[in-house]
Amino acid sequence: MTQRQTPSQVSSKAPWWIMPGAVFGLPLLAALWMGVAQAADTAAWSALLTDSQFPHALRLSLWTGTAASVLALMLTVITVTRLHGTRHWHTLQAALSPVLAVPHAAFALGLALLLMPSGWLSRCIAPLMGWLSPPDVATVQDPWGLGLILGLVFKELPFLLLNVMAQFQKVGQGAELERHLQVAASLGYDARSTWLRVLWPQLLPRLALPVLAVWAYSLTVVDMALVLGPTQPPTLAVLAWQWLQDSSDAVNRQGAAAALFLTVTMLAAALLCAAAAVPLRGVFRLRWTRGDRPAASPRSPISVVFAGLLASVYPVVLALLLFTSMVGVWRYPSLWPSVWTDAAWQAVAQSVPALQLTALLAVLSASSGLLLAVAWMELTPPHFDRYAPVLACMPMLVPGVLLVSGLYQLALWWHVDGTVWGLWLAHSLYTAPYAWVALAPAYRCFDVRLEQTSHALGRRHAAFLWRVKWPMLSAPMASAFAVGFAVSVTQYLSTQFIGAGRLSTVTTQALTLASGGQRNVAAAFALLQALLPAGVFAAAWWVGKRAAARGVPVSNAETATA
Amino acid sequence: MSLQINRRQLLAASAAVPFTGFFANPVQAAGATAGAIAGVSAADWPATLRTARGQTVYFNAWAGSERINAYLQWVAVELEKRHGVKLEHVKVSDTAEVVKRVRAEKQAGRNTDGSVDAVWINGENFLAMRRDALLYGPFAEALPNFALVDTVGKPTTRIDFSQTVDGMEAPWGMAQLTFFADSKVVAQPPRSMNEWVAYAKAHPGRMTYPKPPNFHGTTFLKQVLIEATGTTTADRAAFYQPVKTDDFAKLTAPLWATLDAVHPKLWREGKQFPASNTAMRQMLSDGELHISLTFNPNEAANEIAAKRLPESVVSWQHAAGTLGNTHFLAIAYNARAKEGAQVLINFLMSPEAQARKANIQFWGDPTVLAVDRLPAAEKALFAQGAVPGTVLQAAPALAEPHASWIDAIEREWLKRYGQ
Repeated sequence: MTQRQTPSQVSSKAPWWIMPGAVFGLPLLAALWMGVAQAADTAAWSALLTDSQFPHALRLSLWTGTAASVLALMLTVITVTRLHGTRHWHTLQAALSPVLAVPHAAFALGLALLLMPSGWLSRCIAPLMGWLSPPDVATVQDPWGLGLILGLVFKELPFLLLNVMAQFQKVGQGAELERHLQVAASLGYDARSTWLRVLWPQLLPRLALPVLAVWAYSLTVVDMALVLGPTQPPTLAVLAWQWLQDSSDAVNRQGAAAALFLTVTMLAAALLCAAAAVPLRGVFRLRWTRGDRPAASPRSPISVVFAGLLASVYPVVLALLLFTSMVGVWRYPSLWPSVWTDAAWQAVAQSVPALQLTALLAVLSASSGLLLAVAWMELTPPHFDRYAPVLACMPMLVPGVLLVSGLYQLALWWHVDGTVWGLWLAHSLYTAPYAWVALAPAYRCFDVRLEQTSHALGRRHAAFLWRVKWPMLSAPMASAFAVGFAVSVTQYLSTQFIGAGRLSTVTTQALTLASGGQRNVAAAFALLQALLPAGVFAAAWWVGKRAAARGVPVSNAETATA
Repeated sequence: MSLQINRRQLLAASAAVPFTGFFANPVQAAGATAGAIAGVSAADWPATLRTARGQTVYFNAWAGSERINAYLQWVAVELEKRHGVKLEHVKVSDTAEVVKRVRAEKQAGRNTDGSVDAVWINGENFLAMRRDALLYGPFAEALPNFALVDTVGKPTTRIDFSQTVDGMEAPWGMAQLTFFADSKVVAQPPRSMNEWVAYAKAHPGRMTYPKPPNFHGTTFLKQVLIEATGTTTADRAAFYQPVKTDDFAKLTAPLWATLDAVHPKLWREGKQFPASNTAMRQMLSDGELHISLTFNPNEAANEIAAKRLPESVVSWQHAAGTLGNTHFLAIAYNARAKEGAQVLINFLMSPEAQARKANIQFWGDPTVLAVDRLPAAEKALFAQGAVPGTVLQAAPALAEPHASWIDAIEREWLKRYGQ
């Protein structure tokens, strides 16, 4: 039993686990406390509960967030089941990086350019329909939130797929997967049944955390909801954000109450789902083990066409962003603008210092985020992870605008406001949990026997980490770094506050310029925001590919010879 | 040293300046730092200039327009050249951010060396900062160039949303509700709210206004309210007093009657509204809407110059007048470079800076100065030829109702149409 409790050093260095928890948790909890303290105000709560928009906005948030998460998960299951083992699988792996790198706000803008009444699709069919002006129909920002759900599904699907792949990248897991498929095939099950009855029941519980993150994100998302979401009323997250953004203190407190309400609702719903999963699992087990052999279903050409259409949305969205960034005057329903302009790219050209700072900050905070995540997993026993999600999900769950005033006060006390160091600390609070979510599944399932062997061969623990464990985990560590990098790039409020507005990044420039409502500028900066992380994601993908090519046995040989 | 000066200035200021609103709470005033209470007098100006030399002024200003940002670049060069003051434009997307930042600084006890020196502000944000004692001053009326401001012809240079400014912010530019449309689409622009409604009814689905509490949306409601109420000053007098709950329903009934009648004919049948006037401008450019609105009379001309709107776009104001106001410059109570900020603000109010700002080639923001009182050479700076998109027939500017009406109208609107 003691042997199974992975690192023996845990018991001897037990107090050390406090360190990563404290470095990350204390500032976060302090900032959160200051944010939540705003909500400790009965006037704010009565204003919230009697607000005419509140009930409808809450329903909308729950509906859009839940529908998007369920749909994204279903599509993940279908995509992996259908594509794994085909030639498309590798294409998918390669394509994920650029797609993941596109920030939510940028993707939302591109999708709106495609779907809106004066959008590209509408212009394409205008001659057929005889339209001379855009149809007065809500194709995005519709009252049911369908546009928002669609946008969220498109953005969360690649994230979940990446997490499934991270599971496969775990040492030995790929081989185990093949074994499962072979054994099941020899028992007469086709691949699809094997996935549904053997592989998914094992994979899904491990996806619980990413799914929770997706759900939390979808419920509290503001930037996408502003572009694609309903307006009358908007979702509760948008309302809370608008109230927290207000210059009046009383309205801020109402916003804090709304944000707190949303967070508590979300936590309660998550607990409810976890409780419901237990009996459901029993029901499904009966189905999985009843022993019948469903006939293999052929891949229908319709589903292939459908998948192709879905996949083509991503390049189309990016192409539209590029196109729009150069558009001046573009009358409906012509397919080609009458006036082009390079004003947006001139603005981009003036942003080189911001670009440099963005890259520097992203590298620093992605590194520290990764470091914190690794430190947490090296210094804490695995069962601590049960409590970590609450803390880790906090920066994902709690609206940034609620945290940011508290963070700024901390920065003022420590005199790091307006400095790169302050920004580094603030960004790390956001990169660490994402890095942790991306890394935990692979890291926690690392084969204990390798560590035991290494120690038995007289290797010190540090040597084991540097020569065995980390090289073997290079792929998930690289993608965790890339995720952290992307998270840092998209930080707006924390950058604007902690930096006191004096340090500008690509994102703060993008948002301040976009507040003028110039679509070409917004599109150009959206592309720019996507470009930096895309490079890092591509590098992470390359690291993963190299590690896969090198394979596990090489690492084992290294251990033996070292 | 600086504390002594501040104390002396405090005495001078308390003798010279009639204190109103801001010092209604003496405890609060006494609790604020000495710097927050001090003002300058014109005699101190050379001393202010001397102290300012070498300072860096962090000017927090909305940065949603490259042209405005470019104008501030020019200001930075001139300010350095003339006064040795370095200007850093802190780009913000929403001035409420700045209010929150200074408030957080106050809560954290950062009463000196704050992050904000000067801020571009007006209306609710100004009132919020003033209420929470986050502003430095009074300073504005002691600046040398304030004498050139047209406080008579443009009374909103001293009144911000029906509240006296009392020198706590300095006027920078004028704004007036203005409509614009493509003349190829709208041949006969509606020049009153009745004509606007008639146009909307004749062109279903092509007219709308930004969703309150968006600033421009609320302004539109106030314009409807004022035009629907009656034409005499007596009819409208109630709107310039704090709102009273007992007659709110009666006074606003014409507003809701007008909206109830026109909403079914608006874009999305009045069940949805665009987020902002900038969204509306884009929708106008796309052909989705026929008429948009703005607070900068030269916005259409600007957008034509920037090649984002076609040259056939025209601007107009309602014949009987539209709501007008002023945007201002203020200094944070904990500013590090209070002298530098005053030198900046004084320069921004100078004929040269104001003329360049008013020029559509650079920005196109109307001046706060009394141009006809300026010497001929400076007056000539303001002359510019007609460019496409400008307002041809200027209409009178109507004063903004008392600020308390904003919240009441927004609340009622959300209750009636918000879901």
